Amino acid sequence: MAKVKEKEVKSKIYIGSRTFDVILIIAMGLLSVIFIYPFLNVLAISLSGNGMIVTGQVTFYPRDIILEGYKMLFREENIFLAYGNTIIIAAGGALLSLTLTSLLAYVMMVPDFVLKKPLSYFLLITMFFSGGTVPGYILIRNLGLYNTWWALILPGAVSAYNVFVYRAFFKGISLELREAAKIDGASEFGILTRIYVPLAKALYATFGMMSVVGTWNSYFSSLLYIEDPKKQPIQMVLRRVVFASGIDNMTDTHEMITSGKMNQLNVQYACVIMTMGPILLAYPFVQKYFVKGMQVGAVKG
Amino acid sequence: MAKKSKNAVAVIPKKNFWTQIKRQKGLLLMALVPVVFIFIFNYIPIYGILIAFKNYKASKGVWGSAWLDPFYKNFVTFFKNVNCGRIIVNTLRIGISTVICTFPAPIIYALLLNEMKGRKYKKVVQTISYIPHFISMVVICSMLNGFCSLNGLFNDMRFTLGLERTNLNAGGTNFLIMYVLSAVWQSVGWGSILYLSALTNVDTSLYDVANIDGANRWQKMKNIAIPAILPTITIVLIMNVGGVLNSDYQKILLMQNSTNRDISETIATFVYTVGIQEGRFSYSTAVNLFQSVVSFILVYGANAVTRKLSPDNSMF
Repeated sequence: MAKVKEKEVKSKIYIGSRTFDVILIIAMGLLSVIFIYPFLNVLAISLSGNGMIVTGQVTFYPRDIILEGYKMLFREENIFLAYGNTIIIAAGGALLSLTLTSLLAYVMMVPDFVLKKPLSYFLLITMFFSGGTVPGYILIRNLGLYNTWWALILPGAVSAYNVFVYRAFFKGISLELREAAKIDGASEFGILTRIYVPLAKALYATFGMMSVVGTWNSYFSSLLYIEDPKKQPIQMVLRRVVFASGIDNMTDTHEMITSGKMNQLNVQYACVIMTMGPILLAYPFVQKYFVKGMQVGAVKG
Repeated sequence: MAKKSKNAVAVIPKKNFWTQIKRQKGLLLMALVPVVFIFIFNYIPIYGILIAFKNYKASKGVWGSAWLDPFYKNFVTFFKNVNCGRIIVNTLRIGISTVICTFPAPIIYALLLNEMKGRKYKKVVQTISYIPHFISMVVICSMLNGFCSLNGLFNDMRFTLGLERTNLNAGGTNFLIMYVLSAVWQSVGWGSILYLSALTNVDTSLYDVANIDGANRWQKMKNIAIPAILPTITIVLIMNVGGVLNSDYQKILLMQNSTNRDISETIATFVYTVGIQEGRFSYSTAVNLFQSVVSFILVYGANAVTRKLSPDNSMF
């Protein structure tokens, strides 16, 4: 009841600014179109006939539908192998990161842990200083990780920032639970796995997703460390097709483009769609976790 | 971001350090592997910066390689490089134009969203604006590359406006425009989250009071909303100023071609080209170190200025 009254009062005051409200709604709608139109255009062109593309008649939806772009892409680039590689790297990276970060964060959370202070400094220093591109590259070479997936998974597995966020989350779990378990004779590792991990599901969902999407989207460490095309993740395939004159190496595709049966954009955009498709499909389900993660980081970081 | 120190209650009387270590060996064992990871992947590369002052030979390692004579020789080489001035100017140009465009955009966007009625519509608009943040750099640049090509979206737009189709992927100015525009497009929605969460924490009674006083929308925005997000604005600005040299090299490397290199070559891309592609490890590390040191000074300086102007808002 009170709310209805409040609304009435407010609406009286806002009458003067109704026009502003309408303008705002339209402007925000247009802005949203700017955010999604590029994706629609890419999807539309990837499926449209050459004639329509050349004359600039493709906008929101495909015209003269052809599937040649996708067909040629699948024939000449091993998209599914790249998907497989990416999934292995992403899953492995997320699993390792969650495990190691949890271990350290739990230890750092224990109030009377002896090395708490020195370890905090040990972590903090890494937030302000880093070695840079070449020293990292030399390290990977020296460890013999060059051209292996370990080079993509291991370096980022534990980050100080994540440890601090996990610790903040663990601190929210009552210490009495830990004391009780200790009295029952549980080991520290047992307390972490049987009490803390089940209670931190929200944390793991958020950071697991962030890690997977981050790995899916990254290309630079693969550019640095993975030479073998058969081991490369999906982003590197897209980079090859669009930038590293990949089309010239795809002989059949090249021929179809020069003979005008399809447009270069057909195959390039098909590859774009294949690369971002899984992320866009997952987006509605994962975006709330990301927003939560961003807010957690902002408040507690 | 200051940490609140909690008064830890000592349950057990303080024992000798080594007995404590023994008692907590379970915890120490758990911390071991992550600590080793951080040591290897964070500290060894920091130690590796030493090669900036050495003539690094892979066979001799970081420690065994001979010192340069004089030890700062690589820095001299860089500053004497004919392209040095151009690279620094490029880095600043790209950095400053990016900050000028990407810093205010999310603030304006958040303030406008805050003014919007209709929770559901607002939520939809917000969710849509986050999408570009989730798209990878390679996809963004591939799309840009396509849009700029002769049959692409941007040329379609030029065509409807009666302009000729040209290859927008060529040329330094086009590079700069595309770089900044796509950065704004990608970051405006996501960047607004920080401001929006500050805005939702505003005490609603402030608005009630303002309504009673007959304040109009603009006055309410100016006197309630903007002061509420001012601390966030300051922190973001400090971080932006500090990051002005850290051009997004992963993006630039994708967008770079022979026609725009005069504008697009920055310190970070130079570090990559010289270090990884040409294999001049020591030289590249030196240039990288130069950039890090200047960035550090910039963050520190920006923070010092803020502390002078408004002590409550500074970061450290």
